[in-house]
Amino acid sequence: MFVPHSEIDLKKMFEELSISSLDDLFTHIPETLKLNDGLNVPPSLSELESISDFENLESKNTQNLICFAGGGHYDVYLPQTVKSLTMRPEFMTSYTPYQAEISQGILQVLFEYQSLICDLTDMELANASLYDGATSVAEAISVAINKTKRDNVVISNGFNPNTKEVVNTLVDSNKFNINYVDLVDYLFPEDYVFSQDDAAFVVSLPHYEGSAQDLTSIVHNAKAAGVITICYADPSMLGILKSPGSMGFDIVVAEGQSMGSPLSFGGPTVGWFATRKELARLVPGRIIGESRDSNNTKTYVMTLRAREQDIRREKASSNICTNQTLNAVGSTIHLSWLGPEGLYEIGYQAIQKASYMKQLLTDNNFIVLNHTSSLREFLIETEKSAEEVILEMGSKGFLAGIKYDDNQILVAVTEKRTKAQIDNYVDSLVEVNNA
Amino acid sequence: MHSGGNASSLPLVGGAPEPTINQLSKPGRRASRFPKLDVPVTEINNSAIRNDKPSLPEVSEHDLVMHYSRLAHRNFAVDVGFYPLGSCTMKYNPRFADYVAGLNTFANSHPSTPSAFTQGNLEVLHELEKFLIEITGMDNATFQPPAGASGELTGLLIIKKYLEENNLTNKTDIIVPDSAHGTNPASAKMAGFNVVEVSTDVRGMVNIDDLKELVNENTAGLMLTNPNTGGLFEENIMEISNIIHENGGLVYYDGANLNAIVGVCRPGDMGFDIVHSNLHKTFATPHGGGGPGSGPVAVKAFLKEYLPGPIVEKNDKSYKWYMPKLSIGRMHGYHGNFLVALRALVYMKLLGKEGLDTLGSYAVLNARYLSSVISKVIPLAYNEPCMHEFVATVKDLKKSHKIKAYDVGKALLDKGFHSPTIYFPLIIEEALMFEPTETQTVDTLDDLAETLKSIIDELQGEDVSLEEYPKNLPVGRPNELIPAKHLTVNWGDFELLELTE
Repeated sequence: MFVPHSEIDLKKMFEELSISSLDDLFTHIPETLKLNDGLNVPPSLSELESISDFENLESKNTQNLICFAGGGHYDVYLPQTVKSLTMRPEFMTSYTPYQAEISQGILQVLFEYQSLICDLTDMELANASLYDGATSVAEAISVAINKTKRDNVVISNGFNPNTKEVVNTLVDSNKFNINYVDLVDYLFPEDYVFSQDDAAFVVSLPHYEGSAQDLTSIVHNAKAAGVITICYADPSMLGILKSPGSMGFDIVVAEGQSMGSPLSFGGPTVGWFATRKELARLVPGRIIGESRDSNNTKTYVMTLRAREQDIRREKASSNICTNQTLNAVGSTIHLSWLGPEGLYEIGYQAIQKASYMKQLLTDNNFIVLNHTSSLREFLIETEKSAEEVILEMGSKGFLAGIKYDDNQILVAVTEKRTKAQIDNYVDSLVEVNNA
Repeated sequence: MHSGGNASSLPLVGGAPEPTINQLSKPGRRASRFPKLDVPVTEINNSAIRNDKPSLPEVSEHDLVMHYSRLAHRNFAVDVGFYPLGSCTMKYNPRFADYVAGLNTFANSHPSTPSAFTQGNLEVLHELEKFLIEITGMDNATFQPPAGASGELTGLLIIKKYLEENNLTNKTDIIVPDSAHGTNPASAKMAGFNVVEVSTDVRGMVNIDDLKELVNENTAGLMLTNPNTGGLFEENIMEISNIIHENGGLVYYDGANLNAIVGVCRPGDMGFDIVHSNLHKTFATPHGGGGPGSGPVAVKAFLKEYLPGPIVEKNDKSYKWYMPKLSIGRMHGYHGNFLVALRALVYMKLLGKEGLDTLGSYAVLNARYLSSVISKVIPLAYNEPCMHEFVATVKDLKKSHKIKAYDVGKALLDKGFHSPTIYFPLIIEEALMFEPTETQTVDTLDDLAETLKSIIDELQGEDVSLEEYPKNLPVGRPNELIPAKHLTVNWGDFELLELTE
């Protein structure tokens, strides 16, 4: 399958190599290592035969759950225009743009991606993508540690638990101390005192629980102690929230799924990474720069290559090689499609619809734990266990949210949700919770 | 010229530079439209809310589509032409996988959806695990790592945790061949190991004498790819893995070159304890201009409980998530690059036994044939039978005519071919590394060899200025020093200086 060799081709190739069978290619491999009967796998299928197999497999997933889950990945509307442009085979089936002369397309899109992210976050330099939001947080912490040569990481507890697990895996706990700071009333304490041993301050905007605050004064205090400040932002809210750069942050990272990627069961998505020029040489991953060719024509190239693993080997700023370029292409085209009005609109509508939903839940005797400080995502309390509620809401056609605690659910609203869906959700939740 | 050659040159031909999307922006234009808000408006009071609109381009949908389509026209790709790019396995990516990856709940499941509602997705990962462990000869796999380098780091963190659990914390050295991919030493360093380099012998294989000298009580493990980066099968692989095992270390297989041996032999039978695979190489998922990939890690049973998780387990009729007891933790926010894994499963199911049993054989056949015809034009680095890729060298042409590997690569671009990998492995002077993959026809291989011959003749001409190549593309050879010096990395910078060198 997909092997083009005809009998005539094989004859020609065997003659060139003076062999008489494919097996003759491997006379130098020890006999004991060879697979004599081949692999124990099912027989080959034609595309026509396998269509129904894969459609059946897909149908084993519960269909058309209306999504009220967030936690970093959001059911934001992804326009067909963005999908079909991103999946153009010239982008999708190309390799890393090492050969600039035949890769100006991808290189320019990535230059635009970096520029859009800089504009949106008020930063000066973005890289050309990392794996996802969680690994981007770990990479940012590593930049802060390398810059400050300090051993202590201050990280807000208001993070997706999975993100914290990734940080715990990737930041060596034998060498560095990771200090999780609890939120107070779902907000980071304004009076937190940073020490001269702190390398990094990491906080989420909004917090995982959905509450948001202007972090300017906390960032100011951290920087006064020489700490590198890292903001984990929600891209789909950047149209309506103050930019992390305007709050003074040194590094901005994000889970970029909501800009240009379908939910994809969590991957592939894209990790955004942006910072200030001072930290340029510590940045992980590829960076695209503008140059000129021999005729003085504007030409995009990969730049600051001396940070990367293929050149610096064990002295590289990160081991990352393959990144998430195609998802970065998706972010670029989606942001350009949205424009300033569109990005504002998805943030504004999400917050308005969440406000309506919080009030409706309160009117139905549910407790919204962070009613006032939350924006498009919030915590509710349930009588029944969160797990049971989520399972039973599933049978009513809703993905009710993410289990936060035994009796607490994190609920997210996007611009895609309608008043009717919200009304039905609350009706169903009343039934499930009181049953 | 049969194919590959001129087929790709047309879409990439010159023209004026494309403006940036920002330069196309005019106030008041927009592509996006949304339904009217259908709930009553509430006043939003939060100190984090901004008072102005974000800074983004304002373009019409038609302008947007034309802009990104024109950029697509300036990009080489597997669907456009031949990439004989060593170490990258740029094979054909089946279109059918795009269809499957676009099916509703595959594409649109929220990653926090409970397993009760995502049995299909879990089955995808379970089925793919079965294929993968059979092909590699291992026992269990995780799909957490989103790329090959992340798979390497996963493997090294498993070695570290395994050594800690067995009170062998004195073992701090990872041995890496001097011919290894750069990610190997970078990953070893990230995992907190010391990197020790083992040399390559004159035949192009691991220098066994050197290895024996380097191995001691501090050896934690060895990272190796087989075939190695010179495209040669390490014939003494059993002796190599025994040397490491006898000293209490583990042996890690870098799956970058797995395509050579699929259906021929298996890392698990060669003594490897941990294997990562690059689904975006061996199993035909598209490279996406640099990603996404997927770097699943498979291990022998004694290492299962160290895998990053959660991993999928099947009990009776249903699938559930399982967190291994001694897990190194998570390597990804959720389940790795699920849709890439799905595409790989599509590819494996289409190939099935007939296709997978012969996959490595056809990949090697194409490389061996190409090495034979190219050796008549440029000498090969090693006088050994190659596997799925091989290395040629122009060090003699550099001496005689100042023609570098870089120049040959650039001249090939003009003829509609991607350059081979150049200057890798680092131990070979003026290296050109070719990997044709099994999906190219013999005509395309002949075409490449003929084109190389004509280029080399041309470059040796008297009045040739090597810097002028390529000549027929949207841009010429770039000055790569400018952005590093002046760092124009976003469109807000206008500091482009006059070219002085």
